[in-house]
Amino acid sequence: MGEFVQLVILGLLAGGVYVAVGVGFGLVWGVLNIVNLAHGALVIIGGYITWQLFTALHIDPFLTLPVDAVALFVLGYALQRGVINRIIRAPLLFTFLLTFGLNLVLVNLLLLTFGSDFRSVTPSYAGKGLEFGSIVIPYVPLISLGAAILLSAGLAFLLNRTRIGLAINAIAADRDAAQLVGIDLRHAYAVTYGLGAACAGVAGGLIALIQAITPTAGEPYTLQAFVVVILGGLGRVSATVVGGLAFGLVEAFGQSLPGSGSVFANAIAFGLMVLVLVTRPQGLMGRLR
Amino acid sequence: MIGTATSNRRWRRAFLIAGAILAAYALLAPLTSLEAAQSANVPLLADKLWFRIATIIAMFIVLATAWNIIGGITGYAAFGNVAFFGIGAYTTGMLIAKAKWPFLLALPLAPIVAAAFAALVGLPLLRLRGHYFAVASLGVGVAVGELVQNIDYGGQPVFGGASGLFLPILRIDNRGLFFFYLMSAAAVFSIAVTWWVLRSQFGYGLIAIRENEEAASVLGVNTTAYKVAAFALAAALTGLAGGIFSQWNVFINQDNVFPIEYNVQMILMALLGGTGTVFGPAAGAVLLQLLIQFLGGTLPISFDIPFVSADARPIVAQVILGLLLVGVVIFVPRGVIDFFGGRTRLSMSYLRRSLRETSL
Amino acid sequence: MAVRKLALLAVAAVAAFACGTTSAGPTTGSTITLGAPLGLTGSLTKESQLTQQGYDLWSDWINARGGILINNVKHPVVIKYYDDTSNANQSAVLMQKLITEDKANFLLGPYGSAATATDAVVAETNQIPMVEANGAAQSIFNQGYKYTFGVLSPANKYLQGVIDMAANLTPKPTTVAMLSADDNFSLEVANAINTYAPTKGFNVVLFKKYKNGATNLTAEVQAAKGANADIVLNSGHLQEAIAINKAAKEQKLNAKIFAYSVGPSTPDFIAALGADANYVYDGSQWTPQVKYTPAFYLTESQYVAAYKTKYPTFGDPDYHVAESTAACLALQRAIENAGSLDATKVRDALAALDVTVFFGQIKFDSRGINIYKPMVVEQIQNGVHHTVFPDSVADAKPMYPTPNWDQR
Repeated sequence: MGEFVQLVILGLLAGGVYVAVGVGFGLVWGVLNIVNLAHGALVIIGGYITWQLFTALHIDPFLTLPVDAVALFVLGYALQRGVINRIIRAPLLFTFLLTFGLNLVLVNLLLLTFGSDFRSVTPSYAGKGLEFGSIVIPYVPLISLGAAILLSAGLAFLLNRTRIGLAINAIAADRDAAQLVGIDLRHAYAVTYGLGAACAGVAGGLIALIQAITPTAGEPYTLQAFVVVILGGLGRVSATVVGGLAFGLVEAFGQSLPGSGSVFANAIAFGLMVLVLVTRPQGLMGRLR
Repeated sequence: MIGTATSNRRWRRAFLIAGAILAAYALLAPLTSLEAAQSANVPLLADKLWFRIATIIAMFIVLATAWNIIGGITGYAAFGNVAFFGIGAYTTGMLIAKAKWPFLLALPLAPIVAAAFAALVGLPLLRLRGHYFAVASLGVGVAVGELVQNIDYGGQPVFGGASGLFLPILRIDNRGLFFFYLMSAAAVFSIAVTWWVLRSQFGYGLIAIRENEEAASVLGVNTTAYKVAAFALAAALTGLAGGIFSQWNVFINQDNVFPIEYNVQMILMALLGGTGTVFGPAAGAVLLQLLIQFLGGTLPISFDIPFVSADARPIVAQVILGLLLVGVVIFVPRGVIDFFGGRTRLSMSYLRRSLRETSL
Repeated sequence: MAVRKLALLAVAAVAAFACGTTSAGPTTGSTITLGAPLGLTGSLTKESQLTQQGYDLWSDWINARGGILINNVKHPVVIKYYDDTSNANQSAVLMQKLITEDKANFLLGPYGSAATATDAVVAETNQIPMVEANGAAQSIFNQGYKYTFGVLSPANKYLQGVIDMAANLTPKPTTVAMLSADDNFSLEVANAINTYAPTKGFNVVLFKKYKNGATNLTAEVQAAKGANADIVLNSGHLQEAIAINKAAKEQKLNAKIFAYSVGPSTPDFIAALGADANYVYDGSQWTPQVKYTPAFYLTESQYVAAYKTKYPTFGDPDYHVAESTAACLALQRAIENAGSLDATKVRDALAALDVTVFFGQIKFDSRGINIYKPMVVEQIQNGVHHTVFPDSVADAKPMYPTPNWDQR
C-alpha cells in the first residue's frame, strides 16, 4: 500500500512539470491553431535563464520564475509578431515547418552561447523533503507542483477575467468575427504566443531543478506536451492541468512495471495519445474543436 | 508578375533541359567507375563518395515523392512516415540476417509489409483530420520505432534489440554502383507512380478528398478506401527505400532507420519542391539534400563562414539551415516547381505576394 | 588551430632541415592524414569534444617531434575532423569523404557505438584500418570485420571491477540492484553484471531497464528502494546518472555502494551534484592514478600535466580523453612496426600489436577489441576522484560503506 501511495505522489509531483510544459503549448494550439515545434527550445531558454541567475547571483530558483516568464513573453511576442504571423493564413503544414526551423535556430544559438556542458540547479534544500513514515515528499518537486498550479491559475485568470483574455477567447471562437469587432489580431496573436512562451519559460525554470540541462534537452518536452494536451483536451487550462497530472501518473506507473516494461514508456504514452485521438478526440476534459 | 506566355515557355524549356541533363549525368556518370571504363582511361566521374551521397539523394527522392501521395495529393499531412521506412528496413534486414534469404528475394517483402501495416493503422488514423491526424501519425511513428527496438521474446530481443541488426556485406563488384542504380530505380518508379496516380481516377478522387472531403463523399467517392489506399501506397514506396537501405548500410538500429528528423525532411522537400506535383518532391529532395550535405561538409567543396571559428562552424551551419527553412516557408509556399514549371517567375513582387497571401 | 599546426610543421621542417644537413638524420616525408568524424554538434557534443582533445594531444606531441618515423623519414600528421551532428548515417558519409576526397591514410573512430558500427562497415568496404576508442559494444566486433580495432575494454567489463572490489570488502555486500538504459552499450554492461555477479556470490535482486535519455527516474529509484539492495548499479549515461543520484537522495534510497557506469568520471557530474556526488563509484577505462610503465610517449603524470597545460579549464583528463590518445598511439606504433603506410601492412601490424602505454596494455584479440587492459574502479571522495581498485593501481581505500543520506 505504501508503495502505491508513494508512486501516486511521485507521479503527481512529476505531473507538475508536465502541466507547466503543457499549458503554454495548449494555449497556442487551442487558440492560434499552431503546433509549436519550437516549444522545447523556449522551455530550455527559460531553464538557462534560471541557471544563469542562480549561479551568478545566487537567487533562489523559484524566485527566478517570474523573470523567466517576462523574458520569454517578450521573446514569444517578438517571434509571433515578426515571424509566425506571416504564415497564419497558410495551410497547417507550414506552421509545423516554420516552428521546426525556429527550433533549429534557437537550439543552436543556445549551443553557441552556452556550449554543450550539462548545467544543473541545485539549491541547498534539494534532496530534503517531508517524511511520513516510509513515504517521502521531496521539497523541490512539491514546490514545483505548486508553482505549476499557480501558473495555470494565473493563466486561467488572465484568459477569463481580463480584456486581452476575452479578446483571445474571441479569436479562438471565430477569428474573422473577432477582427470585425475591432480586435487587433496581430497584437492579440502575439500576446497569445507570448503567454505560451512565458509558460514555457516557467516550465524551463522548473526543469532546470530536476535535471541537468543542455541546449538539446528541450526536445523530449515538445513531444510530451503533445501527449499532455491531447490527454487533457484542448480548450481549457484546467483540461491541460488534468492532462499533465494524468501523464505524470501514467509515466510513474508505466515505469514501475517489472522488468523492461518502462522502456516502452514512449510507446505507451503515444499509444495512449493515439487511442484518445481516435476514440475521444476531445480528451478527458476538453471541448471538441 | 506572371511573365508573358512566351517567356514562361522559355523558362519551362530551360528548366526541362537542365533537369534532363542533370538526370542523364546522374545515370551515366557511374558507368565511368566500371573497370572497363577505367582501363580505357575514361575520367572517373563517380567515386565512392559520389555514390554514397547520390544514393542518399535518390533515397530522399523516394521518401519525399511517397509522402507527397498522402500529404500533397490527398491533403493528409502524415508526420510519421519514417515508421514505414524503418519497417521496410527491418523486414528486409530480418529476412536476410536471421532467415538467410538472399537480398533480391527479401527486398520485395519490405513494401508489402509496410503497406500492410499502413492499411492496418490507417483505418482508425485516417478518420482524424488536420493537426490531429498529423500528431497521431507522429505518435505512431515514434511508438513503432520504440517497439521494434525493445520487443523481447523469451528474454531475447526479437529484432536485434539495442545492438541493432548487422547484415552480411553484399560481396559484389561495383557495390556502390549497384545500390545507386537500385535506389535510383526506386526513385524513378516512385515518380512514375505519382504521374500515374495524378492521371487516374484514383488520383482525381484523392484530389477531391483534399479539396473538400464531404463533397467528394457526397459525389460517391469512397473516401475511406481511397485514403487508406493512398496511405498504403505511400508506405509501400517508403518501405521499399527502407529495404534497400538496410542492405546498403549493412547496419540498422532504431536511430538510423526510425530517425524523427526524416519525417520533417521529407515533408520539407515535398513542400520546397511543390506538393501535389509529379516532379516537385524530387526537385525539393535534390535541392535540400544537397544543401544539407553542403552545410554538413560532405561535398567536395569547402566553405568558410566569415567571422566564425572552425569549432563553431557546424553550429552556425545549423542556424543557417533553420533560417533558410523559415525563409522558404514564408516566401516560397508553393515550392520551387512553380518557377521550374514556368508558371511564375522569381521576383520581389512574387515574394511580396506570397507574403501577403499568408500573413495576418 | 590550422595556423598552429602550420607553425608546428614549419618548426618541424626547419628542425629537420637543420639536423639533416649535418648527419644522416631523418628527412621529412609526406604528411599522413588521419580522418576523424565526430559529433561536434548534436547530442554527443560533450563526449566528442573530449575525444577530440585526446586526438589533438597526441598530434601536437608527434608533430613536435617531426612526425611518425618510418625508414628514417619523418611523416608529419594531420587529423582531419568533420562534424557528423551526432548522426550515425552522416558519420558514414563523412568517413567515405575522408577516404575518397581527403585521401586519409587511416581512420580514427567516432564517438559512440552506433556511429562506430556504421563507420566500421565503411572501413571494411574500403579496406582502410580504423582505430577507435569510443565504441565499446561487442556486437561491432562480433561481425568478423578485419579493419576495425578498439583500444578500449569492451562494454561487458565496465562494472565487473566494482563487483570484484565488492567481493573483497567487509562487511561483504550480498545483493545487487541493476538499473540500465536500453541502449546497446548500457545493456551490454548490465547483462554482463547479470551473469558475472552470481559467480562472485552476489544475488541480483532487481534488473530494471529504462528508456535511454530518460530524465525522470523516480519510479526506477523507488523500485530499487523496494529491493533493498546493498549495491545499486546503474548502466547509462551522464544525464541518467545525475537523475538517479538526485532521486536517490530525495527518495531516501540508501545503499552500501552506488556505482554508475558512465558519468561520475566526468567533471560535470561533480559540478551538477556538489557534495551529493561523494561516495559514488564508477568503472573507468583509465584514471590519472594508474601506474603503467609506458614503452613510449608520456607517463600518466606527464600526460595529466600536458592536458592541464593545453586545456586549463577542464581539470583532470577524463578517460574519454585518455582512450582517444591511446588509439592514436596504437596506430602510431603499428605504422612504425609495419615500416610502411600501406593499409594492409598496417592492419596486420595492428592485429599483432602488443604494447603498454600510459593507458595500459594495448593488444587486440582475434575480433579486434582490447580485452587485455583491466578496468579500474574510481570513487569520488570529498569532491575528488580517487582510484580504489585494483590494489596495484589504487591511490586510496574505498570509503565503504556509503553512509545514509540523513547521516551525511
